[in-house]
Amino acid sequence: MIGLISYLVFFATVASILAIAVLGLNLQWGNTGLFNGGVVAFFGAGAYGTLILGSPALEGQLGGFELAYPLALTGGMVAAALLAWAVGALTLRLRHDYLAIATFGVAVAFESLMRNAEWLAGGAKGIRGFERPLRAALGDGFLYNLAFLGFVLCLLVAVYLFLERLVGSPFGRLLRAIREDEDAARSLGKRPARVRLVAFVTGSAIMGLAGGLYASFYAFVSPQDILPVLTFQIWAMLIVGGAGNNRGAIMGTVLIWGAWTGSGWALSRFAPIEAQLYTGSIQFVMIGAVIVGMLLWRPQGLFPERLVVSQSGRSN
Amino acid sequence: MPVTTKTRAGLTLGLALGLGALAPAAVAQDCTTKIGAVLPTSVDWGRPIAEVAQFAVDQVNEAGGAAGCKIEMVLRDTQVDPKVGVDAAKALVDLEGVKLLLGAVSSGVSMPILTSVTVPAGVPQFSCCSSSTAFTKLAEEGKTNGLWFRTFATTAVQSAVAAKVARDKGYKTVAVLYKNDDWGQDMARLIAADFAAVGVEVVANVAINDAQPSYRAEVTEALAAQPEALYLALYPVEGTSAVREWISLGGTQNMIVANSLKSDEFRDNVGLQYLGNTLGTDTASPRSDSADAFRTRYVERFGSEPNGPGLANSYDATMIALLAMEAAGPDASGADIAAAVPRVTDPAGTRVSADAAGFAAAKEVLAGGGTVMYDGGTGNVRFDANGDVSAPAVVWSFAEGGIDEVEYLSLDDVNGFIASLR
Repeated sequence: MIGLISYLVFFATVASILAIAVLGLNLQWGNTGLFNGGVVAFFGAGAYGTLILGSPALEGQLGGFELAYPLALTGGMVAAALLAWAVGALTLRLRHDYLAIATFGVAVAFESLMRNAEWLAGGAKGIRGFERPLRAALGDGFLYNLAFLGFVLCLLVAVYLFLERLVGSPFGRLLRAIREDEDAARSLGKRPARVRLVAFVTGSAIMGLAGGLYASFYAFVSPQDILPVLTFQIWAMLIVGGAGNNRGAIMGTVLIWGAWTGSGWALSRFAPIEAQLYTGSIQFVMIGAVIVGMLLWRPQGLFPERLVVSQSGRSN
Repeated sequence: MPVTTKTRAGLTLGLALGLGALAPAAVAQDCTTKIGAVLPTSVDWGRPIAEVAQFAVDQVNEAGGAAGCKIEMVLRDTQVDPKVGVDAAKALVDLEGVKLLLGAVSSGVSMPILTSVTVPAGVPQFSCCSSSTAFTKLAEEGKTNGLWFRTFATTAVQSAVAAKVARDKGYKTVAVLYKNDDWGQDMARLIAADFAAVGVEVVANVAINDAQPSYRAEVTEALAAQPEALYLALYPVEGTSAVREWISLGGTQNMIVANSLKSDEFRDNVGLQYLGNTLGTDTASPRSDSADAFRTRYVERFGSEPNGPGLANSYDATMIALLAMEAAGPDASGADIAAAVPRVTDPAGTRVSADAAGFAAAKEVLAGGGTVMYDGGTGNVRFDANGDVSAPAVVWSFAEGGIDEVEYLSLDDVNGFIASLR
């Protein structure tokens, strides 16, 4: 029983961290219509930024700042935001699939940089040695994981409330206006380029927060954590949950991550012994089938966006 | 009425006696201990590594299981994704209650499993193939709690033996092409230090990224330094392309290659006529009859030589883990199992072979309070304080029928030579 609880706490922590990243993508894609194909670059910038700022000195690589944890985590978000600003300023004039290709390229370049620049982040062997905050007080076991889950949940709720208010505000309406028809928004005197950049940087900073939490939870990050598959996973979570709906984004994360890990567990437990070696491949087929099925039969996601008529429109 | 009571009592007594007599047999037969394995089974080269681990478990069960129970290996796929691997490991430890964990293959997956699952839970982790030097540093800092073991000896041993080859051949300058991952980067760094220690200059050190259509730029860069010889720490696919371009551009055929290129595929695709001056390095089994057991049994079971990467290492990791479990006895904790590892890899112990008969023999010795030395597929594995292993080594060359052995270095030779470099 205690094992089950311990596992669920662990699962919920990873799912909550991923949910924060999915919320960031939802701001970009769901609300503003920015096709970010390089989620993992901003997630990675947050992860690497946090660990570089928070770790003790490691031989032959940048680091040794040992900032207090909240500062390191904020630093990771700032790193992600800066990267997003630079990338956004260059690429946000692009639309749709062109933007997707450009941002995907940025993510691959980011992974390559981290893999090769040993002086910066340890190259392929990654960054280790990070001391998880309050570890001395809470130990390494179940209690720590529980406390960390509490911390991550608080941040998830904070990000959720922030985004709900943001998309409910006039600025949120502006985002949707740009998503639906940029020329119409411009004709009303809005500046789409600037608004798109703000949404892109904000969403990316949120992904950076998720990356920072992820790296501090494992106390380790390496280029293997920032492979393109993560971008795919986060997109799958948003599409299944329902783009444009923050609650959908969170539910989609829990469902997809649950299916991703649960299918592995179920196959290892129930598949016949001769098939055990092939469960990894079967799992990929199952995950792919779920996503294809969703796209075919419920493309708007499990929790579709709820478009509300604005208040002024209702009163008139 | 009294009669009935007496009869009932007699029946109960008889039943209890009967059960008592059955009990020892029942323990050995019916109980099952689960062990966990997190390996990349959805990747082509990962599946055989898992297969050979299961093969080791089957042999242990043939010998009656370990610590009084049959062993069941619960296998989970990592997808070479750290998140997925860590989650799988956590599920195995928490939900299945495994007391030891095999895996993972990639260092980038093994490391977060070690720091966030196995060390906090006190479960020993045996990896076949994680090569990063970061594990040694982590162990030196005392953060693995003695729970980390890996049977992958080849990084330090191979780089040292390659330095010996270069020195013996009299090469003065060498260019290095290495695979751009944690293994390749470690190899490149170690080889530069080891070559320098024997007075060979590394004039070019070039990273090779996977799956590029051409390596002309990299090869040209290495060629521009005009080295007398080329060192390759690559895998067969990239190695073949790089060497083809190297030779077609007029590069030297004096080559030293790591064990990752010990493959028929590489030899056939490059062409044996270009590989006459190529020497390879590898770790080796010790020269004893029992050490052939792994190879023989493997051929019996799978119908081919165990030539893929990590196969012997995976087998040894599994066997040593189960021997340690046997030595620690029933209901041992993870820490007890880790603490029992020296009892099964004791150089002064009774030698046991790498098969079911060897495991059965080891059970007898361990039951009598003795220690054993396991002669595995990668040699008589012996862990140092950081969970790292050293092993005997061979220098080999390509030949018509496969691989020819050029020189054999015993464990003492290897350790002596490595010590002379430091």
